[in-house]
Parts: sequence; C-alpha cells; structure tokens
Amino acid sequence: MSWKLVLALALVARSAPLVAQNGNGSGTTRLAGRVPAAALPAIDSIIAAAAAESLPTEPLVQKALEGGAKNIPADRLVNGVRRGLLQLRQARAILGHAVPGQSPPEGHVAAVAAALARGLSGPIVERLLTLAPDEPPGPALHAAADLVAHHFDPDSAADLLVEAHNKGLRGVRLLDVAVAADHELQRPGGRTPSEALAHVRAMLPNLRPGRP
Amino acid sequence: MSPLDPRLQEALDGERDPGDLPADLRDAYARLNAVTHVLKTTPPVSVASRVMAEIRENPAPVRRGPARRLIHWLGRPRAVTVRLRPVWTLALAAGLATVLLLPWSNGGPTPGVAQGIASFVGHFPGARSVEVVGSFNDWSRGVLHLNDDDGDGIWHAKAVLPAGPHEYMFVVDGERWVSDPLAGRYVDDGFGAGQQNSVLIVRPVSAQP
Repeated sequence: MSWKLVLALALVARSAPLVAQNGNGSGTTRLAGRVPAAALPAIDSIIAAAAAESLPTEPLVQKALEGGAKNIPADRLVNGVRRGLLQLRQARAILGHAVPGQSPPEGHVAAVAAALARGLSGPIVERLLTLAPDEPPGPALHAAADLVAHHFDPDSAADLLVEAHNKGLRGVRLLDVAVAADHELQRPGGRTPSEALAHVRAMLPNLRPGRP
Repeated sequence: MSPLDPRLQEALDGERDPGDLPADLRDAYARLNAVTHVLKTTPPVSVASRVMAEIRENPAPVRRGPARRLIHWLGRPRAVTVRLRPVWTLALAAGLATVLLLPWSNGGPTPGVAQGIASFVGHFPGARSVEVVGSFNDWSRGVLHLNDDDGDGIWHAKAVLPAGPHEYMFVVDGERWVSDPLAGRYVDDGFGAGQQNSVLIVRPVSAQP
C-alpha cells in the first residue's frame, strides 16, 4: 500500500467522526428512517412552515430526531414538533418586541425558544434581551432559567443578572451567577433565597467560574 | 548464465587441487585460468586517460550563473536510491497512523476554539451499558458510550462538543431512558409524558475554568 493511500485513508478516517459530531446536513432528509413513517408528512409540513416564516428549522429537526430515538408514538411526536414551532413563533415575537426594527438571528430565536421551554416567562425574557441586544442571549437566559428552577424569584433573578452584566460579566460567565446563588442557598445554616441573592450581589463581579 | 560448478569454483579459489577434477572440469579450469591470466597481464585503462578522452569528445559547457545552475540542478531528473529497513518503515507508519487516527491525545480530548469538553458521569450499579444520546449527536444511539472500567457502578465519559446548550439523556442497558441526575438543568421534552431532558451548556475552551 502506498504512502499516499495510507495518508488518504487516515485523513478520511479522522474527518468522518467530525462530520458525525457536528451533525451537518439539514432538512427533512435527515429524518428518513429515523422517525415513524406515519409522522413524516406532518413533520415535513411543520418544518416547511418554519422555513417559510424564516424561523430556524434545526430545533424542529432535533425534536423529531429525539422523538424517533425515544420511540414516541407518531401523534405525540408530531405534537411535540408542533409545540416547538409555536415556541419559535413566540420567541420571534418577543424578540421583535424587545429589539424592534431588527431581524433577529436564528440563533437568538432558538435561544429564546429554549428559554421559554425551560419555563421563563415572556416579560423576563424580554427584559434580559434588552440587556445587550447584540450579544447572544443564550447564557443570560439559561442563567435566569437556572435561578428560577432553583426557586428564586424571577424578577429578583433578572435584577441580579442585569447587575452582573453591568459589572462586566458576559457570556457563559453569567451562568456563574446562578451557580453561586445556588451555592449560597445550599450553605449550612440556611439562607433564604433573597439572602443568597444578596450575598452573590455583594461578590459581583468576582465569582468563581463554576461548572457548565 | 549457468552457475559455476562448486568444484571448479573451489579449484579457481585455490581450495582444491585441479588434478582432482574430472576431465571435463579440468578442461574448463584450464580455459578459465588462461582467461584470468590474460586479464591480469593486460594493463588497465587508467581513469585519467578515460576522463581526458571524455573531455576531448565533449567541449566545455557554457558557463552558467549560480541561479541557472541551481535551476538546472533542480530540474534535472536524478535517480534516487532509498534503502529502508522494514522495521523502521513499519514504525514510521505506525507513528503516523497514531497521530492521524487517534482523536484523543494527552489522555483527553482536544477541543477547538468553539468547542469545549463535556464530562458525563452517572451512577448506575449493575448496568450492562450506558450511553449518552442528545442533540449533539442527532439523538443517535451507539455514538457515545460511558465506561465503568473498575465495575463500581459509576459510569463516565468525556467528549469534545460544540460550545453552547445541548439536551441529552442517558440510555441504560439499551432501553431505559434516564435523565442525568447531576445535570442541574432540565427541560420537559415536549412529548406529553412528563419526561425531562437534561441540559448541558458547554463552555468554549477559552472560558473553561
């Protein structure tokens, strides 16, 4: 076997897993054989509607793939994907209200939809979107969703994140706010949620980087 | 060319008495011996005389500048003989394959700028297999398996993933879908049965503590 052939095979073998990891390729062709045939026409139509409205389609493809992997029955699978479309529409409406006059990037729409799915309310999302309209909103929204999931008051959580942002924390560092608040809440002796938030506020912006 | 009879070779090398050879070989010995004698007595053509003859036949080339000589030297085909020991060739091939084929180095995955390292850990005593299935691998089975090498029931895996949020679940023994109890973030999967996906936010390598 020649050196060139060995080298070519090695490069192909190395690049193949990268393609698989990145999940490249889009659209409903990725769904063939992965979702029940009975669900495919309806899912096709939902994804086509999203594309026609310039909404991101990847979250819907992912939801369909997820349902197929979990062997979700066709009717429930279609409902799950349809629910995703509704959240994307709601997300874009919130973005349009928060940052008027701009066509929001697909990534921002998907991030807001994910925040809604995690239970954040529209007004809290909108408030955090106005914080830094040009920055990807995902980390701030996930940080807020983390705080709400740990039973912190949504408005107080948003206040803390706004303050953290104003003191220089950006991007994934905002997630450390939620980690620190949860840590304060778990301290022996017991703190109330408002005490925990007050302690974190006092530490800003010097928070320890937490785990993802 | 037919091989020389070993007995004749030995006689020519002085290791055997020519008188002991059979008649036909004795005759061949005599002829070969005569040829050897002739070759020994004919004066060899000296290297110097051959070089001088070559120079006379080929006039001196036009002198070129260093750049043109370099170009001429580079452009002229040359026979290259490469002598390789199989053991070193195989070692080199093995080394090249190791560098190119293995995605893990220094004991762990190496992420790019827009990637990060994700660690998955789960306590599943008695499980035969545990894998992670999620949005980072198109919810495909059989891609990312956790290991429990010491059999203590704690399964773990590391992977390089694109930075950002990912939803995932563990699949235990190929059939049981389980949320990651250590994820800390969950979201309803939206299929109406109340099942929750775990949410992982991968920090880009530049932002990892």
